[in-house]
Amino acid sequence: MREFTEVLITGVTIGIVYFLVAVGFTLCYGVGRVLNYSYGSFFTWGAYLAWVLAVGYASLNYFLVFLIVLPIMFLFGVVVDQVLIRPLRKRPEFEFSVLLVTLGLAVFLDNLVLVIFGARTKSLPEFLAGSVKIAGFTISWQLIAMFIFALVVAVALFVFLGKTRTGMSMRAVAQDPTGARIVGIPLFRVFAITFGISTMLCGAGGILLAPRFFMTPLGGWTFLVKALIIVIAGGLGSIKGTLYAAFILGILEAIVGWQLGLLWVMPFWFLVLFLILLIRPAGLFGATARKG
Amino acid sequence: MLEVENINVFYGEYQAIHDISLRVTEGQLVSIFGPNGHGKSTLLKTICGLMKPASGVIRFQGQEIQGLPSHKLVEMGVVLISEERHLFPEMTVMENLQLGAYAKPARKKEAENLEFVFSMFPKLKTLSKKRALNLSGGEARMLAIGRGLMSDARFLAIDEPSFGLAPILRTQVFEQIMTLRDRGLSILLVEQTTGDIAEQSDYIYLLEDGRIAFSGSKGEALNSDAVRKVFLGIT
Repeated sequence: MREFTEVLITGVTIGIVYFLVAVGFTLCYGVGRVLNYSYGSFFTWGAYLAWVLAVGYASLNYFLVFLIVLPIMFLFGVVVDQVLIRPLRKRPEFEFSVLLVTLGLAVFLDNLVLVIFGARTKSLPEFLAGSVKIAGFTISWQLIAMFIFALVVAVALFVFLGKTRTGMSMRAVAQDPTGARIVGIPLFRVFAITFGISTMLCGAGGILLAPRFFMTPLGGWTFLVKALIIVIAGGLGSIKGTLYAAFILGILEAIVGWQLGLLWVMPFWFLVLFLILLIRPAGLFGATARKG
Repeated sequence: MLEVENINVFYGEYQAIHDISLRVTEGQLVSIFGPNGHGKSTLLKTICGLMKPASGVIRFQGQEIQGLPSHKLVEMGVVLISEERHLFPEMTVMENLQLGAYAKPARKKEAENLEFVFSMFPKLKTLSKKRALNLSGGEARMLAIGRGLMSDARFLAIDEPSFGLAPILRTQVFEQIMTLRDRGLSILLVEQTTGDIAEQSDYIYLLEDGRIAFSGSKGEALNSDAVRKVFLGIT
C-alpha cells in the first residue's frame, strides 16, 4: 500500500508536467487552429538548451536555467509564428498547409540537434539529490522540485488565462474569432503570443522531464504523441479536458511502469484513449457537438 | 462622418454588393432596409473591416478606412453590433462586457461605460455572473448591444437589433437606440422590415440585390414606389 501511494504521488507529478506540455499543444490549436507537428522538436530543444546551460557548456543552477530557457522558447515560438505560420493564414487550406510546414520544421530542428550535439544520448542530472520521508512515505527531492516547478507554471497559466487582458483575449479568439475581431482584438498578435506561450510550455516540459528520460535528437516525438493522446482524450481545444486527461494518463503511466515496466506505458495509453473515445467520441470535454 | 463611395464586395465569384454609395452625417440615425440575403449584413461587415471591398472607398471622419484591420477601426470608434451576436459563449456576461472595452481608448472609460450599459439594460447586471451560452435570445441580444457600447464607439453599425425579439423588448431596444443617438452617436442600422425605426430615422436606404434601390428621407420613403413594391408587394 505504501509503495502504491508513492507511485501515485509520482503519477500526479508526471501528470501535471504532461498537462503543461499538452495544454500548450491544445492552446495552439484552440486559439490559432495550428496542429503543431514540430511540437516534439520544441520539446527536444527545450531539453537540449537546458543541457547546454546546466551540463554541456556551463553548470548553472536549474532555477537560472528555467529563467533563461523559457523566455528563449517564447521568443522562438513568436518568430516561428510570424515567419512560417502567419503567411499561411491567407490560404483557404490553412490547417493542412500548417501541418506540412510544421512537419518540415520538425525534420529541420531534429537534424539541427543531430548536427550540433551528435547522436549520442545525453541526460540531465536530477535537480536535487536525495529524498525525504514525509508521514512514512519516501519521496525524492527531485519529484518534489518537479512538482513545485510544474505547479507554479500551471497556476501562473491559469491566472494568466483567467484574469489578464491578454489571456482573456486568447480565450475570446478560441471561442469566437469573429467576435474577437468585432471587439477589436488584433488576431495576429494573439496568434503570435499563443504560439510563444505554447512553445514555452513545451520547453518547460522538456526541462522537467529530461532527467527522467534520456535525451536523443528524435526523443521529442514520443512527447508529441503523448501530447496528442492527452489532448484527444481530453477533447481537442479543451483546457479542462486536458487537465483531467493528463492526470489520468500520468497516474496510469506511473502504475503501469511500476507493475509491468515502462515499455507497456504506450500500449496502455492507447487502450485508455480507445476506451474514452468509445464512450465519448469527442473526448472527455470535447466541444465538437456544440460548435456549429 | 462616414462616407461609402462605390464599393463592390464579393464572396468568391459571387458579387454581394454592387457599386453602393451612402453617407451618415454626425449624430444621425440612418437606416437600411431590404429583404434577407440582399447584402445588408455584408455592407455593415465591410464598413467595420470584417470584409474587404474589391473596389471603392470608405471614409471615416475624412480618413480612408477600407482594408484597415478591424481592431484599428474599433480603436477609431467604428463598431459593429452583429446580428449573429458573436458572443464568447464560455465567458460570463461580465467578461463579455469587459472584452467589449478591449480597445485602448475604451479602457480608460470602462467603469463609466459599464455603468451606462447597466442603466440601459438593468437585467444584464443581475446576470453578470452567468455564462453567455446560458442566456435567452433576448438576453444575448442585450449583451451584444451592451458589449458594443463598452467600446466607446462614435459610429455604431447595428445589424437587425430587433431580430428574434419579443415585441416589448423590441420597443425597448429601439428606445435605447434613440437614446444613443441623442447622446451624439452616429448610427447605421439595418432591418428587414420598416416599422417604428423608419419613423425615427434621419435618412433611409433601400437595398435590393446588393444595389441601392431607393434613398431619401422617411417622408419620401413612404411615397416611394420602390419601397412599396418591396414591402407591400404593390407593383
